[in-house]
Amino acid sequence: MKRTLIPGAAIGALLASATFVFADLAQPKPSPTPEQGKIVLYTSLTVAADPRASEARLQISQETLNRIREGAGNSSVNQSVTQRLMHSSTQTMMAGLFMFLAVSFAGVWLARSSHSRSHKAAAAVLVGGIMLSAAAMMVRANAGPPGYIRWQGLPQALKDGKTTRGGTDIEIVPGDDGIKLIVPLRSERRPGEE
Amino acid sequence: MERAENISLAVWQRARPVRTRATTKSFAAALIASACLSAALASWLPLQVSIVTVFLFAGPHNWFEARYFLMRLPARFGRSRNFFTVAFAGIFLLTVTYVSLPALYYASVWSGENWPTAIATWNTLLLLWLAALVILRGKQNSKRDWSWALPAAFPLCAFNWLAPELFSLAIVYVHPLIALWFLDRHLRRTRSEWLPTYRRCLMVLPFLVILMGWQLARTSSLADDNGLFWRITQHAGAQLLPGVSSHMLVSMHVFLEMLHYGVWIIALPLIGASGAIWSVETIPLARRRRGFPKLVAAVLICGLFVVAVLWLGFSMNYAVTRDVYFAVAIAHVLAEAPFLLRML
Repeated sequence: MKRTLIPGAAIGALLASATFVFADLAQPKPSPTPEQGKIVLYTSLTVAADPRASEARLQISQETLNRIREGAGNSSVNQSVTQRLMHSSTQTMMAGLFMFLAVSFAGVWLARSSHSRSHKAAAAVLVGGIMLSAAAMMVRANAGPPGYIRWQGLPQALKDGKTTRGGTDIEIVPGDDGIKLIVPLRSERRPGEE
Repeated sequence: MERAENISLAVWQRARPVRTRATTKSFAAALIASACLSAALASWLPLQVSIVTVFLFAGPHNWFEARYFLMRLPARFGRSRNFFTVAFAGIFLLTVTYVSLPALYYASVWSGENWPTAIATWNTLLLLWLAALVILRGKQNSKRDWSWALPAAFPLCAFNWLAPELFSLAIVYVHPLIALWFLDRHLRRTRSEWLPTYRRCLMVLPFLVILMGWQLARTSSLADDNGLFWRITQHAGAQLLPGVSSHMLVSMHVFLEMLHYGVWIIALPLIGASGAIWSVETIPLARRRRGFPKLVAAVLICGLFVVAVLWLGFSMNYAVTRDVYFAVAIAHVLAEAPFLLRML
């Protein structure tokens, strides 16, 4: 049982880790892509109608402005792990190096260890790691309702003169086109009804 | 030669009161009531309670920890010389580098793009230092095989390089729980009859954490519209976990911090782990022949002065003092590791 369990767990761990490691794939030829913006801050946005105003105004609090400045200087914070790894070969290499060292040292330790309890503990850790990896892949769906839900009532709220509040990513884009607000409104008409 | 394991056990043994079932029940009731009260306060007014608890208890709890570490420090290192050399060298170097990281950043020595690499490097050094301490401690007893430390440290290093900021955030949340481990070891030595009750009480904590998460997960994020509130929410991980309510994060962190302060300031002194607070007789460095009682007393008095300076700083500029405190306080986080290992 033990002989089967430990190699099985080790193979499972390697297979699970293979989903995160793309180091062995050939590098695709870089294709020219338009320069993309970077998200520096997630905050709330309130859209309010003002019948007495003559110009549209964008109000930003001093603290929010400070955070945008700070976020623009440290944009890596809000990137996902995958995005960051795609842009940081150092982090990818170091993580791979330590994974290699972990597997190597764990193998030497298992081979040298004479205690069956140690083997069982190592097997339990490996099995646990595999289950956690599998669970982590599955629970991505449990990320909560999408942000556009809050913006669905915006057109009606503007007609009624009411305010609408929802989440907003502040994105710094290249160019000199001023400020643009992109609201995630979904069309309620089904395809083919137009 | 005085063995570190036996340093102050005699004092604790003499301080042992009459054990009754009633005291065990009182102990359990006090623990659960304290945990529930902390959870309720942290959930109700997280930002305000965070400000008040850090103001009142951050400095004093460091003083109690420093006194406790002095008490656990052997007068002669003997076979532990290598262990303590690595421990103190690590505490010093890691503290200096940790404090210098933001200083170098604000001095524009490197750009923000390299910040994750700097953090990951520091975390890696921390993990390798911890692994070295575990191995050195394991070698002091031939019955122990603690060579698993390196195989355990390397996967953590790999995870750290994948998500350095999340790893640092994990340290913020795990550190308060270490105090509970210290309390467990002391109860085992000095109040062994309370230990099963204590461990049963610890099982309440996951339920409280789940309950807090369930109640606060859907709450709107805290209004961090001033610099201080923003710092508190960032410290709890609001920027790293934008999909999680900052109310829940801050509440959870404050709850754990309150437990941490409670253990160091109330629980451990009450069970006699810190000895008589004003007496230096329980400190080996002061008690031994040719010891340094005046030096130890001076260090403790200087510690009280630092606590007073910290209170003054909080009164004058809370936000800046809080930032400075949490940067420098990494020293006490690091110091807990070798002294905890000495108790295992």
